[in-house]
Amino acid sequence: MIKVRDLSYRYESGNEPALNGIDLEIENGEYLAVIGPIGCGKTTLIRHLNGLLIPSGGEVSVDGMDTRDRENLKRIRQKVGMVFQNPDNQIVGMSVEEDVAFGPGNLALSRHEIRERVNAALTLVGLEGYKDRAPYSLSSGEKQLVAIAGVLAMDPDYIILDEPTAHLDPLTAKKVLRVMAGLHGKGISICQVSHSMDEIVAADRVLIMSRGEITLQGTPSEVFRDPPALKGLGLELPPAAEIMWRLKGRGIEVRADIVTLEEACAELAGLIDGSQIRR
Amino acid sequence: MYIPGHYIAGDSFIHRLDPRVKLLSVIALSLLILSANPAAEAVISLFLFSLIVISRISPAVLLRSLRPVFVFIAILFLLHLLFTEGTPVPPFPDWPVTVTFEGLGRGLTVSWQFVLLVLSASILTAATCPTELVAAMERLLRPFSSFGVPSHDIAMMVSMAFRFLPTFVQESARIKEAQMARGAGFTKLTIKSRLRAAVSFSTTLVINSFRRADELATAMEARAYSRGHRTCLRELKLTRIDYLATVMVSTFIGACVIM
Repeated sequence: MIKVRDLSYRYESGNEPALNGIDLEIENGEYLAVIGPIGCGKTTLIRHLNGLLIPSGGEVSVDGMDTRDRENLKRIRQKVGMVFQNPDNQIVGMSVEEDVAFGPGNLALSRHEIRERVNAALTLVGLEGYKDRAPYSLSSGEKQLVAIAGVLAMDPDYIILDEPTAHLDPLTAKKVLRVMAGLHGKGISICQVSHSMDEIVAADRVLIMSRGEITLQGTPSEVFRDPPALKGLGLELPPAAEIMWRLKGRGIEVRADIVTLEEACAELAGLIDGSQIRR
Repeated sequence: MYIPGHYIAGDSFIHRLDPRVKLLSVIALSLLILSANPAAEAVISLFLFSLIVISRISPAVLLRSLRPVFVFIAILFLLHLLFTEGTPVPPFPDWPVTVTFEGLGRGLTVSWQFVLLVLSASILTAATCPTELVAAMERLLRPFSSFGVPSHDIAMMVSMAFRFLPTFVQESARIKEAQMARGAGFTKLTIKSRLRAAVSFSTTLVINSFRRADELATAMEARAYSRGHRTCLRELKLTRIDYLATVMVSTFIGACVIM
């Protein structure tokens, strides 16, 4: 479990704290989504989860290891992998194989072990056969999958993704999300920071942040139940929830907790059949 | 797009040699070329040509590697041709600056030395993939790490330079297009507007590079990169053909030095 206790952080150049007394627990195997307007502190928060940033106040611990203890950092970064927004600026190796081997190499594993991990990781993301490809010859989606493979090769328990689909087209974004769902299915904890409401409907828990604090927490259905509050924070609803909410505003009786397209279609089909709407 | 110095995959004797042997041989050969007399130059040329044949790299490809330095070699030749003292070649007049026989000789030998230098480096990079070159550099610098030379960091930096060169080329094209779309003066006729366009282009490229370096460093840290022991996927090992090649090259260089 990743434990965050009363976490505060102030940047050197900042007048206000970027994070203000955050309490959070990320369980093993859970799928957590973090959303919020620009500047709310979500990137600052996740940088604390693998020790890239050290708290100004409070503490962060991963499976009992405090991030302030330098001795722990290597082990923490093995357990907590991180994937960033820009696919290009994560790939270090001259070939896909070399890049995925970078992480295990940092952990000083044997050559045999590294080779096995590289092959396993590439298979998990669907990139077998890409071993000798050069980074500049890959599409953005492929690069992002290589980045994920590079993290997987370290055998993490938690993977944190900072807006992983921001630079990807919708089709490739769906592919990356499918890979993430697959990893979650294998028991890896996923923490995804996202701007797109659509992407996070599959999460177990959603955290809404604003101005350095957690304003709202709950399952996707719970969190999207109060559209005016979300809009007040500058956030949009997922398309399905938005439609339901507007229909409700016109006086049509629909469920308030719908977040996925499938649920919305089912609900609308039911309405039409039940002739509640004039054709 | 062929980038000069690009690796061309193959399975020749030269391709299969340990990259350390190749790198050290090229360094030794280069020193030899720089101090060679015309007779030795001819012998070295024959040696390099035989290497080209053994490596089965197309000569046309290697000629292309000379293109970027062609102007430099031409200027070098002309300078020696015109400024060397000696007997003028008829019908050129007997002036201090004129074409002389000695100038012709010196011009040819000096520019040919340069050609040989570039060719030997090109054979190295054409027959050795960048990963191996960097591994060779790291391995050769490793003994010096106890004297404070960060061999692994240097290898990492060279490796990342290789990795990002094509990316920079792609990004330059993108920046240029974006700026042209906003009316930058790359194709205008005045030098002033072209200069301004060049400055804004370079500034953008440099700033982007710094940002990129920052993000890369963060990503590397997140994958537990740190000072201290690391393992590599590949470790270099010397085999029989490497010893054979070393003996051959050393004998050749020794013979040339004596000549």
